[in-house]
Amino acid sequence: MMNWFSHLLSSVVEPFDYAFMQRALLSCTLIGFTNGFLGTFIILRRQALLADALSHSLLPGLAVAAMIVGLSPEGLLLGGLIAALFVALGAQLMARNSRLKEETAVASLYIIAFALGIVLIRFAKVKVDLTHFLFGNILGVGNGDLWIAYGAAFLTLGTLVLFQRPLLLTLFDVAVAQASGVRVRWVETGLLVLTVLGLVASLQAVGVLLSLGLLIIPAATAYLLTDSFNRMLWGGAFLGMVCSVGGLFLSFFANIPSGPCIVMLMAVFLGLAYLFSPRYGVLSRLIRGHHYHEESLERWEGHQGHDHQIPEKE
Amino acid sequence: MSTPTDQEPMLRIEDLTVSYHRVPAIHHLSLTLDPGHCVGLFGPNGAGKSTLLKSIAGLLKPETGRILIEGITLEKAASLIAYLPQRESVDWDFPVTVRGLVEMGRYHQVGLLGSFSPRDQSAVEEALELFNLTPLARRQIKELSGGQQQRAFLARAWAQEADLYLLDEPFGGLDRNSATALASALKTLKERGKLLLVSHHSLAEAEPLFDTAILLNGELVACGPTQEALSPRNLECAYGTAIYSGNHHHSS
Repeated sequence: MMNWFSHLLSSVVEPFDYAFMQRALLSCTLIGFTNGFLGTFIILRRQALLADALSHSLLPGLAVAAMIVGLSPEGLLLGGLIAALFVALGAQLMARNSRLKEETAVASLYIIAFALGIVLIRFAKVKVDLTHFLFGNILGVGNGDLWIAYGAAFLTLGTLVLFQRPLLLTLFDVAVAQASGVRVRWVETGLLVLTVLGLVASLQAVGVLLSLGLLIIPAATAYLLTDSFNRMLWGGAFLGMVCSVGGLFLSFFANIPSGPCIVMLMAVFLGLAYLFSPRYGVLSRLIRGHHYHEESLERWEGHQGHDHQIPEKE
Repeated sequence: MSTPTDQEPMLRIEDLTVSYHRVPAIHHLSLTLDPGHCVGLFGPNGAGKSTLLKSIAGLLKPETGRILIEGITLEKAASLIAYLPQRESVDWDFPVTVRGLVEMGRYHQVGLLGSFSPRDQSAVEEALELFNLTPLARRQIKELSGGQQQRAFLARAWAQEADLYLLDEPFGGLDRNSATALASALKTLKERGKLLLVSHHSLAEAEPLFDTAILLNGELVACGPTQEALSPRNLECAYGTAIYSGNHHHSS
Protein backbone atom coordinates (compact mmCIF):
# COMPACT_ATOMS: atom_id res chain seq x y z
CA MET A 1 0.00 0.00 0.00
CA MET A 2 2.67 2.46 1.06
CA ASN A 3 4.72 1.29 -1.82
CA TRP A 4 1.97 2.03 -4.29
CA PHE A 5 1.41 5.49 -2.83
CA SER A 6 5.05 6.50 -2.88
CA HIS A 7 5.22 5.28 -6.45
CA LEU A 8 2.33 7.55 -7.43
CA LEU A 9 3.87 10.47 -5.58
CA SER A 10 7.21 10.07 -7.22
CA SER A 11 5.65 9.90 -10.67
CA VAL A 12 3.73 13.12 -10.02
CA VAL A 13 6.87 14.85 -8.82
CA GLU A 14 8.97 13.34 -11.56
CA PRO A 15 8.57 16.21 -14.04
CA PHE A 16 10.22 18.58 -11.57
CA ASP A 17 13.46 16.74 -11.79
CA TYR A 18 13.99 18.64 -15.00
CA ALA A 19 15.01 22.29 -14.83
CA PHE A 20 13.13 23.11 -18.03
CA MET A 21 10.00 21.70 -16.46
CA GLN A 22 10.44 23.84 -13.35
CA ARG A 23 10.79 26.94 -15.48
CA ALA A 24 7.78 25.94 -17.55
CA LEU A 25 5.69 25.46 -14.43
CA LEU A 26 6.73 28.79 -12.95
CA SER A 27 6.02 30.74 -16.11
CA CYS A 28 2.69 28.94 -16.55
CA THR A 29 1.61 29.90 -13.06
CA LEU A 30 2.58 33.53 -13.53
CA ILE A 31 1.13 33.95 -16.99
CA GLY A 32 -2.07 32.06 -16.20
CA PHE A 33 -2.73 34.14 -13.12
CA THR A 34 -1.85 37.52 -14.63
CA ASN A 35 -3.75 37.00 -17.86
CA GLY A 36 -6.75 35.61 -15.99
CA PHE A 37 -6.78 38.73 -13.81
CA LEU A 38 -6.44 41.13 -16.72
CA GLY A 39 -9.14 39.21 -18.59
CA THR A 40 -11.93 40.56 -16.40
CA PHE A 41 -11.14 44.11 -17.49
CA ILE A 42 -10.93 43.14 -21.15
CA ILE A 43 -14.22 41.27 -21.11
CA LEU A 44 -16.15 43.96 -19.28
CA ARG A 45 -14.70 46.58 -21.59
CA ARG A 46 -15.79 44.34 -24.50
CA GLN A 47 -12.33 44.36 -25.98
CA ALA A 48 -11.79 40.65 -26.58
CA LEU A 49 -11.54 41.26 -30.31
CA LEU A 50 -9.22 44.21 -29.84
CA ALA A 51 -6.89 41.98 -27.83
CA ASP A 52 -7.00 39.48 -30.67
CA ALA A 53 -6.05 42.18 -33.16
CA LEU A 54 -3.23 43.43 -30.94
CA SER A 55 -1.81 39.95 -30.57
CA HIS A 56 -1.28 39.78 -34.33
CA SER A 57 0.19 43.23 -34.57
CA LEU A 58 3.21 42.15 -32.51
CA LEU A 59 4.70 40.46 -35.55
CA PRO A 60 6.48 43.34 -37.35
CA GLY A 61 8.11 44.39 -34.07
CA LEU A 62 9.36 40.86 -33.51
CA ALA A 63 10.71 40.73 -37.04
CA VAL A 64 12.59 44.02 -36.69
CA ALA A 65 13.97 42.94 -33.32
CA ALA A 66 15.10 39.62 -34.78
CA MET A 67 16.80 41.49 -37.63
CA ILE A 68 18.70 43.76 -35.25
CA VAL A 69 19.47 41.74 -32.15
CA GLY A 70 18.50 38.19 -33.04
CA LEU A 71 16.21 36.10 -30.85
CA SER A 72 17.02 37.54 -27.42
CA PRO A 73 13.93 37.74 -25.20
CA GLU A 74 14.55 41.38 -24.25
CA GLY A 75 14.78 42.46 -27.87
CA LEU A 76 11.63 40.59 -28.83
CA LEU A 77 9.78 42.07 -25.86
CA LEU A 78 10.72 45.59 -26.80
CA GLY A 79 10.01 45.09 -30.50
CA GLY A 80 6.62 43.49 -29.94
CA LEU A 81 5.68 46.11 -27.37
CA ILE A 82 6.49 48.98 -29.70
CA ALA A 83 4.68 47.45 -32.67
CA ALA A 84 1.50 46.64 -30.75
CA LEU A 85 1.43 50.01 -29.02
CA PHE A 86 1.89 51.66 -32.37
CA VAL A 87 -1.21 49.87 -33.66
CA ALA A 88 -3.26 50.34 -30.48
CA LEU A 89 -2.52 54.01 -29.93
CA GLY A 90 -2.52 54.75 -33.65
CA ALA A 91 -6.00 53.30 -33.92
CA GLN A 92 -7.19 55.41 -30.98
CA LEU A 93 -5.75 58.50 -32.59
CA MET A 94 -7.34 57.68 -35.95
CA ALA A 95 -10.72 57.09 -34.31
CA ARG A 96 -10.60 60.37 -32.40
CA ASN A 97 -9.51 62.50 -35.33
CA SER A 98 -11.48 61.11 -38.22
CA ARG A 99 -14.90 59.67 -38.87
CA LEU A 100 -13.51 56.11 -38.76
CA LYS A 101 -14.76 54.17 -35.75
CA GLU A 102 -12.22 52.52 -33.47
CA GLU A 103 -12.88 48.93 -34.54
CA THR A 104 -12.42 49.87 -38.20
CA ALA A 105 -9.17 51.64 -37.44
CA VAL A 106 -7.88 48.74 -35.35
CA ALA A 107 -8.79 46.12 -37.94
CA SER A 108 -7.12 48.07 -40.74
CA LEU A 109 -3.94 48.78 -38.82
CA TYR A 110 -3.45 45.28 -37.43
CA ILE A 111 -3.84 43.61 -40.80
CA ILE A 112 -1.36 46.07 -42.28
CA ALA A 113 1.02 45.39 -39.39
CA PHE A 114 0.69 41.62 -39.75
CA ALA A 115 1.41 41.77 -43.48
CA LEU A 116 4.36 44.06 -42.85
CA GLY A 117 5.61 41.57 -40.28
CA ILE A 118 5.53 38.68 -42.73
CA VAL A 119 7.43 40.75 -45.28
CA LEU A 120 10.03 41.76 -42.69
CA ILE A 121 10.54 38.20 -41.42
CA ARG A 122 12.07 37.39 -44.81
CA PHE A 123 14.91 39.77 -44.03
CA ALA A 124 15.54 38.53 -40.49
CA LYS A 125 18.99 37.04 -39.87
CA VAL A 126 17.53 34.11 -37.99
CA LYS A 127 14.66 31.88 -38.90
CA VAL A 128 11.44 32.98 -37.18
CA ASP A 129 8.85 30.26 -37.05
CA LEU A 130 5.23 31.42 -37.37
CA THR A 131 3.99 28.37 -35.47
CA HIS A 132 6.25 29.35 -32.61
CA PHE A 133 4.76 32.84 -32.70
CA LEU A 134 1.22 31.46 -32.45
CA PHE A 135 1.74 28.63 -29.94
CA GLY A 136 5.00 29.37 -28.17
CA ASN A 137 7.33 26.77 -26.75
CA ILE A 138 6.80 26.39 -23.06
CA LEU A 139 9.53 23.80 -22.58
CA GLY A 140 12.02 26.19 -24.15
CA VAL A 141 11.44 28.94 -21.59
CA GLY A 142 14.78 30.38 -20.55
CA ASN A 143 15.76 32.39 -17.48
CA GLY A 144 15.46 35.66 -19.41
CA ASP A 145 11.88 34.83 -20.36
CA LEU A 146 11.13 34.00 -16.78
CA TRP A 147 12.41 37.36 -15.56
CA ILE A 148 10.25 39.12 -18.12
CA ALA A 149 7.23 37.13 -16.97
CA TYR A 150 7.97 38.13 -13.34
CA GLY A 151 8.31 41.79 -14.27
CA ALA A 152 5.19 41.88 -16.40
CA ALA A 153 3.12 40.07 -13.77
CA PHE A 154 4.31 42.42 -11.04
CA LEU A 155 3.64 45.55 -13.10
CA THR A 156 0.26 44.39 -14.40
CA LEU A 157 -1.14 43.12 -11.12
CA GLY A 158 0.23 46.09 -9.19
CA THR A 159 -1.28 48.66 -11.55
CA LEU A 160 -4.63 46.92 -11.79
CA VAL A 161 -4.99 46.52 -8.04
CA LEU A 162 -3.92 50.11 -7.38
CA PHE A 163 -6.32 51.61 -9.93
CA GLN A 164 -9.10 49.10 -9.47
CA ARG A 165 -11.67 51.69 -8.43
CA PRO A 166 -11.28 54.19 -11.28
CA LEU A 167 -11.08 51.21 -13.64
CA LEU A 168 -14.31 49.79 -12.30
CA LEU A 169 -16.08 53.14 -12.68
CA THR A 170 -14.83 53.49 -16.25
CA LEU A 171 -15.75 49.95 -17.25
CA PHE A 172 -19.23 50.38 -15.87
CA ASP A 173 -20.07 53.65 -17.56
CA VAL A 174 -17.53 55.85 -19.29
CA ALA A 175 -19.66 59.00 -19.30
CA VAL A 176 -20.56 58.79 -15.63
CA ALA A 177 -16.96 58.04 -14.67
CA GLN A 178 -15.77 61.05 -16.63
CA ALA A 179 -18.44 63.25 -15.07
CA SER A 180 -17.30 62.19 -11.60
CA GLY A 181 -13.76 63.26 -12.35
CA VAL A 182 -12.04 60.05 -13.48
CA ARG A 183 -9.44 60.63 -16.20
CA VAL A 184 -11.07 58.17 -18.53
CA ARG A 185 -8.57 58.43 -21.36
CA TRP A 186 -5.64 57.63 -19.10
CA VAL A 187 -7.49 54.64 -17.74
CA GLU A 188 -8.33 53.35 -21.22
CA THR A 189 -4.82 53.87 -22.55
CA GLY A 190 -3.30 52.27 -19.47
CA LEU A 191 -5.45 49.20 -19.91
CA LEU A 192 -4.37 48.95 -23.52
CA VAL A 193 -0.69 49.13 -22.59
CA LEU A 194 -1.11 46.41 -19.96
CA THR A 195 -2.89 44.16 -22.46
CA VAL A 196 -0.01 44.49 -24.89
CA LEU A 197 2.50 43.88 -22.12
CA GLY A 198 0.64 40.74 -21.08
CA LEU A 199 0.61 39.43 -24.63
CA VAL A 200 4.29 40.10 -25.23
CA ALA A 201 5.43 38.71 -21.89
CA SER A 202 3.73 35.39 -22.54
CA LEU A 203 4.91 35.13 -26.14
CA GLN A 204 7.84 32.77 -25.62
CA ALA A 205 6.01 30.46 -23.27
CA VAL A 206 2.58 30.13 -24.78
CA GLY A 207 2.47 32.13 -28.00
CA VAL A 208 -0.10 34.77 -28.89
CA LEU A 209 -3.06 32.42 -29.43
CA LEU A 210 -2.82 30.71 -26.06
CA SER A 211 -2.01 33.99 -24.36
CA LEU A 212 -5.25 35.32 -25.78
CA GLY A 213 -7.07 32.21 -24.58
CA LEU A 214 -5.73 32.73 -21.07
CA LEU A 215 -6.81 36.34 -21.28
CA ILE A 216 -10.39 35.62 -22.28
CA ILE A 217 -11.61 32.14 -21.31
CA PRO A 218 -10.96 31.99 -17.52
CA ALA A 219 -12.47 35.45 -16.95
CA ALA A 220 -15.42 34.56 -19.17
CA THR A 221 -15.96 31.43 -17.07
CA ALA A 222 -15.84 33.44 -13.85
CA TYR A 223 -18.25 35.99 -15.37
CA LEU A 224 -20.82 33.21 -15.82
CA LEU A 225 -20.47 32.22 -12.18
CA THR A 226 -20.67 35.39 -10.14
CA ASP A 227 -22.29 38.82 -9.77
CA SER A 228 -19.36 40.20 -7.83
CA PHE A 229 -16.65 42.13 -9.64
CA ASN A 230 -14.04 41.06 -7.10
CA ARG A 231 -14.87 37.39 -7.35
CA MET A 232 -14.76 37.59 -11.11
CA LEU A 233 -11.36 39.25 -10.92
CA TRP A 234 -9.67 36.81 -8.53
CA GLY A 235 -11.69 33.82 -9.73
CA GLY A 236 -10.57 34.39 -13.32
CA ALA A 237 -6.96 34.68 -12.18
CA PHE A 238 -7.16 31.53 -10.08
CA LEU A 239 -8.82 29.56 -12.86
CA GLY A 240 -6.24 30.74 -15.38
CA MET A 241 -3.47 29.56 -13.08
CA VAL A 242 -5.08 26.19 -12.32
CA CYS A 243 -5.77 25.47 -15.98
CA SER A 244 -2.23 26.39 -17.06
CA VAL A 245 -0.61 24.20 -14.43
CA GLY A 246 -3.11 21.37 -14.90
CA GLY A 247 -2.73 21.54 -18.67
CA LEU A 248 1.03 21.37 -18.37
CA PHE A 249 0.83 18.21 -16.24
CA LEU A 250 -1.66 16.60 -18.60
CA SER A 251 0.58 17.34 -21.54
CA PHE A 252 3.58 15.79 -19.76
CA PHE A 253 1.81 12.55 -18.91
CA ALA A 254 -0.29 12.20 -22.06
CA ASN A 255 2.57 13.37 -24.24
CA ILE A 256 0.56 15.94 -26.20
CA PRO A 257 1.51 19.59 -26.86
CA SER A 258 0.96 21.75 -23.77
CA GLY A 259 -0.77 24.73 -25.43
CA PRO A 260 -3.79 22.83 -26.75
CA CYS A 261 -3.92 20.89 -23.48
CA ILE A 262 -4.29 24.10 -21.48
CA VAL A 263 -6.94 25.44 -23.84
CA MET A 264 -8.92 22.21 -23.71
CA LEU A 265 -8.87 22.25 -19.92
CA MET A 266 -10.17 25.83 -19.94
CA ALA A 267 -12.82 24.78 -22.44
CA VAL A 268 -14.09 22.13 -20.01
CA PHE A 269 -14.56 24.73 -17.28
CA LEU A 270 -16.19 27.21 -19.66
CA GLY A 271 -18.57 24.51 -20.88
CA LEU A 272 -19.49 23.47 -17.35
CA ALA A 273 -20.15 27.08 -16.32
CA TYR A 274 -22.16 27.73 -19.49
CA LEU A 275 -24.42 24.76 -18.76
CA PHE A 276 -24.51 24.48 -14.98
CA SER A 277 -23.74 27.90 -13.47
CA PRO A 278 -26.26 28.17 -10.61
CA ARG A 279 -27.52 31.57 -11.77
CA TYR A 280 -26.64 31.91 -15.42
CA GLY A 281 -26.24 28.35 -16.66
CA VAL A 282 -28.34 27.42 -19.66
CA LEU A 283 -29.52 24.17 -18.08
CA SER A 284 -29.86 25.52 -14.54
CA ARG A 285 -32.21 28.22 -15.77
CA LEU A 286 -34.47 25.55 -17.25
CA ILE A 287 -34.92 23.68 -14.01
CA ARG A 288 -35.16 26.69 -11.73
CA GLY A 289 -38.58 28.00 -10.81
CA HIS A 290 -37.45 30.86 -8.69
CA HIS A 291 -38.95 34.30 -8.38
CA TYR A 292 -38.65 37.22 -6.03
CA HIS A 293 -41.33 38.39 -3.65
CA GLU A 294 -40.21 41.95 -3.04
CA GLU A 295 -41.85 43.19 -6.24
CA SER A 296 -45.37 42.35 -5.17
CA LEU A 297 -44.60 43.67 -1.70
CA GLU A 298 -43.39 46.92 -3.18
CA ARG A 299 -46.45 47.33 -5.36
CA TRP A 300 -48.60 46.75 -2.33
CA GLU A 301 -46.73 49.23 -0.16
CA GLY A 302 -46.52 51.69 -3.00
CA HIS A 303 -50.28 51.88 -3.13
CA GLN A 304 -50.49 52.53 0.57
CA GLY A 305 -48.08 55.43 0.38
CA HIS A 306 -49.46 58.90 0.93
CA ASP A 307 -47.54 60.55 -1.88
CA HIS A 308 -49.88 59.63 -4.65
CA GLN A 309 -53.30 58.27 -5.41
CA ILE A 310 -54.11 54.83 -6.62
CA PRO A 311 -55.03 55.31 -10.27
CA GLU A 312 -58.80 55.12 -10.50
CA LYS A 313 -60.40 52.76 -12.93
CA GLU A 314 -62.73 54.56 -15.27
CA MET B 1 -34.21 82.62 -10.61
CA SER B 2 -31.37 83.73 -8.43
CA THR B 3 -32.31 85.46 -5.22
CA PRO B 4 -30.43 88.71 -4.79
CA THR B 5 -27.84 87.64 -2.20
CA ASP B 6 -24.09 87.88 -2.36
CA GLN B 7 -23.90 84.07 -2.12
CA GLU B 8 -22.94 82.15 -5.25
CA PRO B 9 -25.83 80.29 -6.86
CA MET B 10 -25.50 76.52 -7.05
CA LEU B 11 -25.32 76.58 -10.81
CA ARG B 12 -24.18 79.53 -12.89
CA ILE B 13 -23.96 79.29 -16.65
CA GLU B 14 -22.50 82.25 -18.49
CA ASP B 15 -22.72 82.71 -22.24
CA LEU B 16 -22.47 78.98 -22.99
CA THR B 17 -22.13 77.83 -26.60
CA VAL B 18 -21.60 74.17 -27.45
CA SER B 19 -21.42 73.01 -31.03
CA TYR B 20 -20.99 69.79 -32.95
CA HIS B 21 -18.98 70.23 -36.12
CA ARG B 22 -19.54 73.99 -36.01
CA VAL B 23 -23.33 73.63 -35.75
CA PRO B 24 -24.30 75.11 -32.39
CA ALA B 25 -26.56 72.92 -30.27
CA ILE B 26 -26.67 75.53 -27.54
CA HIS B 27 -26.17 79.16 -28.44
CA HIS B 28 -25.00 81.80 -25.95
CA LEU B 29 -26.99 80.55 -23.00
CA SER B 30 -26.83 82.14 -19.55
CA LEU B 31 -28.77 81.24 -16.43
CA THR B 32 -28.43 80.69 -12.70
CA LEU B 33 -30.21 78.20 -10.45
CA ASP B 34 -30.41 77.85 -6.67
CA PRO B 35 -30.53 74.68 -4.55
CA GLY B 36 -33.77 73.08 -3.44
CA HIS B 37 -35.42 73.09 -6.85
CA CYS B 38 -36.52 70.44 -9.25
CA VAL B 39 -36.02 71.96 -12.67
CA GLY B 40 -37.63 70.53 -15.79
CA LEU B 41 -35.77 70.88 -19.05
CA PHE B 42 -38.15 71.14 -22.00
CA GLY B 43 -37.95 71.71 -25.71
CA PRO B 44 -38.39 69.98 -29.04
CA ASN B 45 -36.02 67.29 -30.31
CA GLY B 46 -32.61 68.75 -31.03
CA ALA B 47 -33.24 71.71 -28.75
CA GLY B 48 -30.03 70.97 -26.84
CA LYS B 49 -31.46 69.36 -23.70
CA SER B 50 -28.97 66.48 -23.63
CA THR B 51 -26.20 68.80 -24.76
CA LEU B 52 -26.86 71.15 -21.85
CA LEU B 53 -26.84 68.29 -19.33
CA LYS B 54 -23.65 66.82 -20.76
CA SER B 55 -21.95 70.21 -20.72
CA ILE B 56 -22.76 70.69 -17.05
CA ALA B 57 -21.50 67.15 -16.40
CA GLY B 58 -18.22 68.19 -18.01
CA LEU B 59 -18.53 65.71 -20.88
CA LEU B 60 -18.55 68.35 -23.62
CA LYS B 61 -16.16 71.21 -24.04
CA PRO B 62 -17.85 74.59 -24.32
CA GLU B 63 -16.93 76.74 -27.27
CA THR B 64 -17.68 79.96 -25.43
CA GLY B 65 -18.65 80.79 -21.88
CA ARG B 66 -18.25 78.90 -18.64
CA ILE B 67 -20.10 76.87 -16.03
CA LEU B 68 -19.61 77.31 -12.29
CA ILE B 69 -20.88 75.07 -9.51
CA GLU B 70 -21.13 76.89 -6.20
CA GLY B 71 -18.67 79.37 -7.61
CA ILE B 72 -15.98 76.82 -8.56
CA THR B 73 -15.04 75.39 -11.92
CA LEU B 74 -16.30 72.05 -13.18
CA GLU B 75 -12.99 70.22 -12.84
CA LYS B 76 -12.83 70.96 -9.14
CA ALA B 77 -16.55 70.42 -8.57
CA ALA B 78 -16.76 66.97 -10.16
CA SER B 79 -17.69 65.20 -6.94
CA LEU B 80 -20.61 67.61 -6.38
CA ILE B 81 -22.21 66.61 -9.67
CA ALA B 82 -24.09 63.38 -10.28
CA TYR B 83 -24.84 62.63 -13.90
CA LEU B 84 -27.34 59.83 -14.25
CA PRO B 85 -26.72 57.77 -17.35
CA GLN B 86 -29.35 57.11 -19.95
CA ARG B 87 -30.65 53.57 -19.78
CA GLU B 88 -29.05 52.52 -23.05
CA SER B 89 -25.54 53.46 -21.96
CA VAL B 90 -25.53 51.09 -18.98
CA ASP B 91 -24.34 47.49 -19.28
CA TRP B 92 -27.02 45.84 -17.14
CA ASP B 93 -25.14 42.51 -17.16
CA PHE B 94 -22.24 44.10 -15.30
CA PRO B 95 -21.24 42.00 -12.28
CA VAL B 96 -22.42 44.42 -9.65
CA THR B 97 -25.16 44.31 -7.03
CA VAL B 98 -27.29 47.24 -5.92
CA ARG B 99 -25.08 47.65 -2.87
CA GLY B 100 -21.96 47.53 -5.03
CA LEU B 101 -23.42 50.23 -7.26
CA VAL B 102 -24.17 52.50 -4.31
CA GLU B 103 -20.67 51.85 -2.91
CA MET B 104 -19.22 53.20 -6.16
CA GLY B 105 -20.60 56.57 -5.07
CA ARG B 106 -18.13 56.57 -2.16
CA TYR B 107 -15.01 55.84 -4.22
CA HIS B 108 -14.21 59.53 -4.45
CA GLN B 109 -14.18 59.87 -0.65
CA VAL B 110 -12.46 56.54 0.00
CA GLY B 111 -9.64 57.07 -2.49
CA LEU B 112 -7.65 54.51 -4.44
CA LEU B 113 -6.89 51.89 -1.81
CA GLY B 114 -8.59 53.10 1.37
CA SER B 115 -11.08 50.80 2.99
CA PHE B 116 -14.64 51.78 3.78
CA SER B 117 -14.83 53.59 7.14
CA PRO B 118 -17.92 53.32 9.36
CA ARG B 119 -18.94 56.70 8.00
CA ASP B 120 -18.75 55.42 4.41
CA GLN B 121 -20.70 52.33 5.38
CA SER B 122 -23.43 54.36 7.01
CA ALA B 123 -23.63 56.67 3.99
CA VAL B 124 -24.26 53.60 1.84
CA GLU B 125 -26.87 52.23 4.23
CA GLU B 126 -28.58 55.59 4.43
CA ALA B 127 -28.75 55.89 0.65
CA LEU B 128 -30.22 52.40 0.32
CA GLU B 129 -32.76 53.16 3.03
CA LEU B 130 -33.74 56.54 1.58
CA PHE B 131 -34.66 55.03 -1.79
CA ASN B 132 -36.31 51.88 -0.38
CA LEU B 133 -33.60 49.64 -1.77
CA THR B 134 -32.48 47.89 1.41
CA PRO B 135 -34.40 44.67 0.70
CA LEU B 136 -33.00 44.66 -2.85
CA ALA B 137 -29.39 45.39 -1.91
CA ARG B 138 -28.08 41.95 -2.83
CA ARG B 139 -29.70 41.87 -6.26
CA GLN B 140 -27.72 42.09 -9.48
CA ILE B 141 -28.80 45.32 -11.20
CA LYS B 142 -30.55 43.59 -14.09
CA GLU B 143 -32.92 41.96 -11.61
CA LEU B 144 -34.62 45.28 -10.87
CA SER B 145 -37.57 46.99 -12.51
CA GLY B 146 -36.94 50.15 -14.52
CA GLY B 147 -38.02 52.38 -11.66
CA GLN B 148 -35.88 50.51 -9.15
CA GLN B 149 -32.88 50.86 -11.45
CA GLN B 150 -33.37 54.64 -11.58
CA ARG B 151 -33.60 54.75 -7.80
CA ALA B 152 -30.43 52.68 -7.49
CA PHE B 153 -28.57 55.31 -9.48
CA LEU B 154 -30.10 58.08 -7.37
CA ALA B 155 -28.92 56.21 -4.27
CA ARG B 156 -25.41 56.09 -5.70
CA ALA B 157 -25.53 59.85 -6.26
CA TRP B 158 -26.77 60.33 -2.71
CA ALA B 159 -23.91 58.25 -1.31
CA GLN B 160 -21.55 60.43 -3.35
CA GLU B 161 -22.97 63.46 -1.48
CA ALA B 162 -23.66 65.20 -4.75
CA ASP B 163 -25.50 68.53 -4.68
CA LEU B 164 -26.45 68.77 -8.35
CA TYR B 165 -28.30 65.93 -10.04
CA LEU B 166 -28.44 65.75 -13.83
CA LEU B 167 -31.02 63.34 -15.23
CA ASP B 168 -31.45 62.76 -18.95
CA GLU B 169 -34.99 61.55 -19.73
CA PRO B 170 -35.32 59.43 -16.57
CA PHE B 171 -39.05 58.90 -17.14
CA GLY B 172 -38.63 57.40 -20.60
CA GLY B 173 -39.98 53.85 -20.72
CA LEU B 174 -41.23 53.78 -17.13
CA ASP B 175 -44.72 52.50 -16.38
CA ARG B 176 -47.06 54.60 -14.29
CA ASN B 177 -46.22 53.05 -10.91
CA SER B 178 -42.48 53.35 -11.47
CA ALA B 179 -42.84 56.92 -12.69
CA THR B 180 -44.77 57.86 -9.57
CA ALA B 181 -42.16 56.24 -7.34
CA LEU B 182 -39.35 58.03 -9.19
CA ALA B 183 -41.19 61.35 -8.93
CA SER B 184 -41.51 60.99 -5.18
CA ALA B 185 -37.83 60.07 -4.92
CA LEU B 186 -36.96 63.26 -6.81
CA LYS B 187 -39.22 65.23 -4.51
CA THR B 188 -37.38 63.83 -1.50
CA LEU B 189 -34.07 65.02 -2.97
CA LYS B 190 -35.47 68.46 -3.66
CA GLU B 191 -36.76 68.77 -0.10
CA ARG B 192 -33.28 67.92 1.16
CA GLY B 193 -31.87 70.93 -0.63
CA LYS B 194 -30.50 69.32 -3.77
CA LEU B 195 -30.75 70.91 -7.20
CA LEU B 196 -32.19 68.60 -9.82
CA LEU B 197 -32.05 69.22 -13.55
CA VAL B 198 -34.30 66.79 -15.41
CA SER B 199 -34.84 66.67 -19.15
CA HIS B 200 -38.34 65.64 -20.05
CA HIS B 201 -40.07 65.03 -23.34
CA SER B 202 -43.67 65.47 -22.27
CA LEU B 203 -45.16 68.80 -21.27
CA ALA B 204 -48.38 67.21 -20.06
CA GLU B 205 -46.98 65.60 -16.90
CA ALA B 206 -44.74 68.54 -16.15
CA GLU B 207 -46.68 70.60 -13.68
CA PRO B 208 -46.66 68.87 -10.27
CA LEU B 209 -43.05 67.71 -10.06
CA PHE B 210 -41.15 70.66 -11.50
CA ASP B 211 -41.35 73.98 -9.68
CA THR B 212 -39.03 75.54 -12.25
CA ALA B 213 -38.80 75.02 -15.98
CA ILE B 214 -36.21 75.74 -18.61
CA LEU B 215 -37.49 75.96 -22.16
CA LEU B 216 -34.90 75.45 -24.85
CA ASN B 217 -34.81 75.68 -28.60
CA GLY B 218 -31.12 75.90 -29.26
CA GLU B 219 -31.51 79.25 -27.54
CA LEU B 220 -32.79 79.79 -24.03
CA VAL B 221 -36.47 80.62 -24.53
CA ALA B 222 -37.45 80.87 -20.89
CA CYS B 223 -36.26 79.99 -17.40
CA GLY B 224 -38.49 80.53 -14.40
CA PRO B 225 -41.44 79.22 -12.42
CA THR B 226 -43.03 76.44 -14.43
CA GLN B 227 -46.33 78.20 -15.11
CA GLU B 228 -44.67 81.34 -16.45
CA ALA B 229 -41.89 79.62 -18.33
CA LEU B 230 -44.28 77.31 -20.12
CA SER B 231 -46.72 80.06 -21.09
CA PRO B 232 -48.47 79.65 -24.44
CA ARG B 233 -46.37 82.42 -25.97
CA ASN B 234 -43.11 80.77 -24.87
CA LEU B 235 -44.24 77.37 -26.08
CA GLU B 236 -45.09 78.94 -29.42
CA CYS B 237 -41.55 80.30 -29.53
CA ALA B 238 -39.98 76.94 -28.66
CA TYR B 239 -42.10 74.57 -30.66
CA GLY B 240 -43.94 76.72 -33.22
CA THR B 241 -41.04 78.16 -35.15
CA ALA B 242 -38.01 76.36 -36.43
CA ILE B 243 -35.54 78.89 -35.13
CA TYR B 244 -36.08 81.30 -32.32
CA SER B 245 -33.71 84.20 -32.47
CA GLY B 246 -33.61 84.76 -28.78
CA ASN B 247 -32.67 87.61 -26.53
CA HIS B 248 -28.94 87.13 -26.64
CA HIS B 249 -26.26 89.21 -28.26
CA HIS B 250 -22.95 88.22 -29.75
CA SER B 251 -20.01 89.65 -27.94
CA SER B 252 -17.70 89.44 -30.90
